[in-house]
Amino acid sequence: MSGGDGAHPVALALRRSIGTATATATSAGLAFAAIDYLGVVSVLAYAPGATAALAIFIGGGIVLLVSGIFSELNGLYPSAAGIRLYLGRAVGNRTALAVTFTYMTTVVLVIAADAFLIGAAVRHVLGEPAALAYLWIAVLLGLATGANLRGVRLAGWVQTVVTYTVLAGTAILSVVALFHVGGAFRHPFDLFGKGSFSGIQAVAFALFLYAAFEWVTTTAEEARTPPVITRALFIAPVLIWIVASLFALALAHLEPFSSLHGSAYPQLLLGRAALGTVGELWMLALTVLTALNTFNGGFLVASRFIYAAARENNLPRQFAWLNLQAVPWVAVTSLAVVSAVVAAVVFATGQWLLLVAVGAAIEAGIYAIGSLCLVVLRRRDTRERPFRLIAGRPLAMIGIVLFSVLFVATGFSDPKNAHHFSVAPISVIAILGALSTAYVLLVVPKLQAAAAARTAAARPRRRPARPPAATQEPVPAPGSAPPADD
Amino acid sequence: MANWDELAEALADYTVSCNENERLRKMQRDWSRTLHFICSDTGTTFSLMVERGEILASPEGHVGTPDIVVTTHSETFCDMFWGDLNPVQKYLRGEITVKGSQEDVMRLDAISYVIWPDS
Repeated sequence: MSGGDGAHPVALALRRSIGTATATATSAGLAFAAIDYLGVVSVLAYAPGATAALAIFIGGGIVLLVSGIFSELNGLYPSAAGIRLYLGRAVGNRTALAVTFTYMTTVVLVIAADAFLIGAAVRHVLGEPAALAYLWIAVLLGLATGANLRGVRLAGWVQTVVTYTVLAGTAILSVVALFHVGGAFRHPFDLFGKGSFSGIQAVAFALFLYAAFEWVTTTAEEARTPPVITRALFIAPVLIWIVASLFALALAHLEPFSSLHGSAYPQLLLGRAALGTVGELWMLALTVLTALNTFNGGFLVASRFIYAAARENNLPRQFAWLNLQAVPWVAVTSLAVVSAVVAAVVFATGQWLLLVAVGAAIEAGIYAIGSLCLVVLRRRDTRERPFRLIAGRPLAMIGIVLFSVLFVATGFSDPKNAHHFSVAPISVIAILGALSTAYVLLVVPKLQAAAAARTAAARPRRRPARPPAATQEPVPAPGSAPPADD
Repeated sequence: MANWDELAEALADYTVSCNENERLRKMQRDWSRTLHFICSDTGTTFSLMVERGEILASPEGHVGTPDIVVTTHSETFCDMFWGDLNPVQKYLRGEITVKGSQEDVMRLDAISYVIWPDS
């Protein structure tokens, strides 16, 4: 029996715990970042006009399968380690580590993308020269890093208010825009109008709008009850579906696609088209608000993952160094520097839609891996779960196939030209995956050997040896093998 | 399996190590929490009261309303409080389960890390 195997389930109420509204806000807030506005443009690239809403609806339906799969996995292992733990139990620690390192790069991409997008939006509204976007990127990441290093956290209620404000504000402006212009929706059911594969790619990009909603499972340890996370996993996608659909309909209605696909701030264009300067400022305010969630949640998730990896001797120990606020300062600072470099490269190359494609592909891949975990863990771990997906095994098998197809669809996409395939997204992912795998296979064993040598040299075991009379372990029979060390 | 006497001895050593570490006390100066522990193999329970980074008491049984609840084997608890194992490794393998905020879980590990950086 393993220690944390649930043989003695915890039934104690915590002094502070989160309920459904906060968990739902956390889930929706992690998913709905500034890059989602560009995600809608990517969907429109493959699903013209009102068909984008259909793609987002189908994507939402598929995401509910992800909700079911992650609800069951989370019920089985309610831990901040999340996918790392599911994978570790399903396919082993090394694979789990390599996949998680790759997965964490999406956090860096989202932080970098948001820094760039918000910087670009602010610069646009203030009418500043393009080069000042670099300054805004540095200012935004500097503020986020400073706040993190000082241990400043958004209170749960602030995060909840921010998330619901962003979602409601985007939905309201979209509805106002739709009433403002009126008229019939164009191309409502033209899912394969841009080629036989375009419908699949549209759905794959629609999936990206919901991406990261499953990170709410990392808060499972502070949930009031296990169903809190399950409810959040099912409610948050519905909220995102409503908001993203309205935004896509309004955007397709008011703005020609030719003016959208070259813009880093389609939401500002919509705001201006709907309500002039007021609308533009409205959307700018919402864009800046998304940064609170992205920088607060993103920095926290990624830096704590880096800290844990360093404590486990899978990264150099310097990444676990703590400042006097108990913040892993090397991890936070490194994250900020890497994000700033990525954001600057994105700005210099204008390849922000590539970020969307890479993020969408990695998310689809993670959903396929999550489905695989469920199939394996249904066989290996037969304990009762607080949530059990009906027909879980066949649905998870379908998930493996479906999300693998969507991974390929986005991995070879070119959102700037729907009729064209590109190897750029899959190449970026392949490089990230290869680097992660090589690191895990070549560097991690050396780090662990060094850590073991350090521990052995530092001091002997401190725990006093048990007197023979107190030893309760069974005495092995003569000739039997000694118990293996852990 | 470790009995309460062994756990109490480990807790006493842990308390001294924590309370006498100036850097840790400074780091945890704004951290006041009640921790509950459950031994999954023996059913033994105990608590830890921390006030502004100082461990005030570690009684047997559950006292007060917890901010954090930690569950694992009694042997793991003993080794952890003696600084003979790295709790993060056990946690990431699901062998230690925790109920509480991520920040508190991080603070709890930070204690072990600061007093035994090479564990």
